[in-house]
Amino acid sequence: MALFTHEVTVLDPIGLHARPAGQIVKLVKESELDVQIGRPGEEFAKANSALRLMALKIKTGETLTLTIDADSETAAGEIASQIQEFLKG
Amino acid sequence: MTGLAAGTVLSGLGVGLNAVVAEVFRVAPMQALPAWTKSTRSFDDERDALRGAIGSVGAHLDSLGAKVGSTSAEIFEALKYLLEDEELFEVAEGNLNDGWSAAAAYGMAVNEFAELLGGDPDFDERVKDLQDLSKRVQAEIAGIKVGLELPSEGSFVIVGEDFSPADTAQFTPAVVGVITISGGPTSHTAIICRSRSIAAVVSCAAAVDLVDGDVVLVDPVGDRVVVGGEISSATQAIKFIDTGREPIIPVRSNIGSLDDAKKAAAANANGVGLFRTELLYLSATSQPDVASQSASYAEVLAAAPAGPIVVRTIDAGSDKPVPFLNMPHEENPSLGVRGFRLIREHRSFIEDQLHSIEFARAHTNREVWVMAPMIATAGEAREFAGLARSIGKFKVGIMVETPSIVTQIADLKGQIDFLSVGTNDLSQYLFAADRMNPALGLLLNPWQPALIRTLARIASEAEAAGISSGVCGESASDPAFAVVLAGLGFKSVSASASQVGAVRAALSAVSEADAKRIATGVLAFSTAEEAKAFVLQELALLN
Repeated sequence: MALFTHEVTVLDPIGLHARPAGQIVKLVKESELDVQIGRPGEEFAKANSALRLMALKIKTGETLTLTIDADSETAAGEIASQIQEFLKG
Repeated sequence: MTGLAAGTVLSGLGVGLNAVVAEVFRVAPMQALPAWTKSTRSFDDERDALRGAIGSVGAHLDSLGAKVGSTSAEIFEALKYLLEDEELFEVAEGNLNDGWSAAAAYGMAVNEFAELLGGDPDFDERVKDLQDLSKRVQAEIAGIKVGLELPSEGSFVIVGEDFSPADTAQFTPAVVGVITISGGPTSHTAIICRSRSIAAVVSCAAAVDLVDGDVVLVDPVGDRVVVGGEISSATQAIKFIDTGREPIIPVRSNIGSLDDAKKAAAANANGVGLFRTELLYLSATSQPDVASQSASYAEVLAAAPAGPIVVRTIDAGSDKPVPFLNMPHEENPSLGVRGFRLIREHRSFIEDQLHSIEFARAHTNREVWVMAPMIATAGEAREFAGLARSIGKFKVGIMVETPSIVTQIADLKGQIDFLSVGTNDLSQYLFAADRMNPALGLLLNPWQPALIRTLARIASEAEAAGISSGVCGESASDPAFAVVLAGLGFKSVSASASQVGAVRAALSAVSEADAKRIATGVLAFSTAEEAKAFVLQELALLN
């Protein structure tokens, strides 16, 4: 396992709200990978809790960093692009 | 049996058109939850108790989801996500470790997250959901019954504070009327009652004094509940018979997309009174170029009903953000940088928009008027007029939404061609009442005398300044209110496509003199209820 870093942008007009947070948590749980999300330079949240993600109060237009503990770059990239999809609103 | 005398009128906001008379059934407030205590049992026992309670509440949500069918089932699925959140459970386990009992541990964990999510209007509803779930879990542990126990036979008007999605899912066929003490016109209760044609009056604070056994008339058209009222005294919705005459002022349509433009044309609207342009941009991740904007506008202009088309320039703000304009978060978005105020940071975007509209106008050869939203000073109005005229062959105008610009209409003589009143925002700013706050519905009622008198002032000052005036707010979609607007001197109204027919019928059934007399009469009343009742009564006499 290695740590991969990706950036995603929040395009959803309401920011990172309950629905995308729920979708991300479901995806991460199914993948059984360790994924953390946060603003660059701030404390990250583990993506296993929708409430914890919502509590970051991330708004439209913000860029977030994902750290993904995965076997391969491909697996990490796949998770990141699906998360980006959820954040399109 | 009751403290309220027969004939007592309780004011609220009506939902739907059907009235009903039935006996009151008060929804009892839930038995109080026990105070939080430290546990005398083991950590494992308490954790099992908590797991069990979360499981039962989850199963209850599943059964409610199955009852309401696929469209609302998503609501219950989302609630279950919150209920079963992993970190929420971990925080609760931490509290169990500190010796708290299961109910206390879960309640505290929810409070901790509610605190983290607090102060952000985007999460207000979720925090309420979360606290409701916490209450249910704690009640389950204490063995207290939550939720409604409604009669399944007979006919009742149920009265309560407000009803949650879980509550309304349990409405039985015996529920023929609903009164809420605090829920507003956009509350979940209102939406469900409208869709099921249940007679309802919401935001009815005085209903707190109703008791079981009172017989009441629920009179939504009259925005009231009458203790001991007869069904025959229910306010009748006015039905205007289409006379085939032309309405006394043109009835235009509000549109936001190509599809709306087609519907407006099918509804026989006289042009478009408000073309909201935000939809073209809200989903774009980068600024569309002039060519693609022009093509979109040309499509809409070509499909729009015959008559002038009033295009409003971008009305975005941080609550309605355009992704590529990068709008920072604001504490009070409705009082922030929105509408024409974007010109400071995004002049080239607004110029591109006007160029695109001009291109589409020339291409389709339609009569296009352009207006800017959120104008607060005469200086801003002049700046917009100058800019728009330098770019295209438009009639140029402004939206009147701020109380400040109402006082400067005379200053705009010779500077703008028209103005259009957005009554929803004008009410919000006039009454200092957030449009999105369901508890403030009564203040945002268009029949409020302060709004009607402000509209009278706008119409007469516009007339004196030689500026054509119209109304495109939601109030213009109410046929009775549209008659008042015509009588006050507005030169056009613009309604949603689905209401164009009804508003046309109303404005063709009355004469100009009737409308003037009714509008003059309504100015005398000092409450919204009296104002509306007067107009409905006058219109009924005419028919």
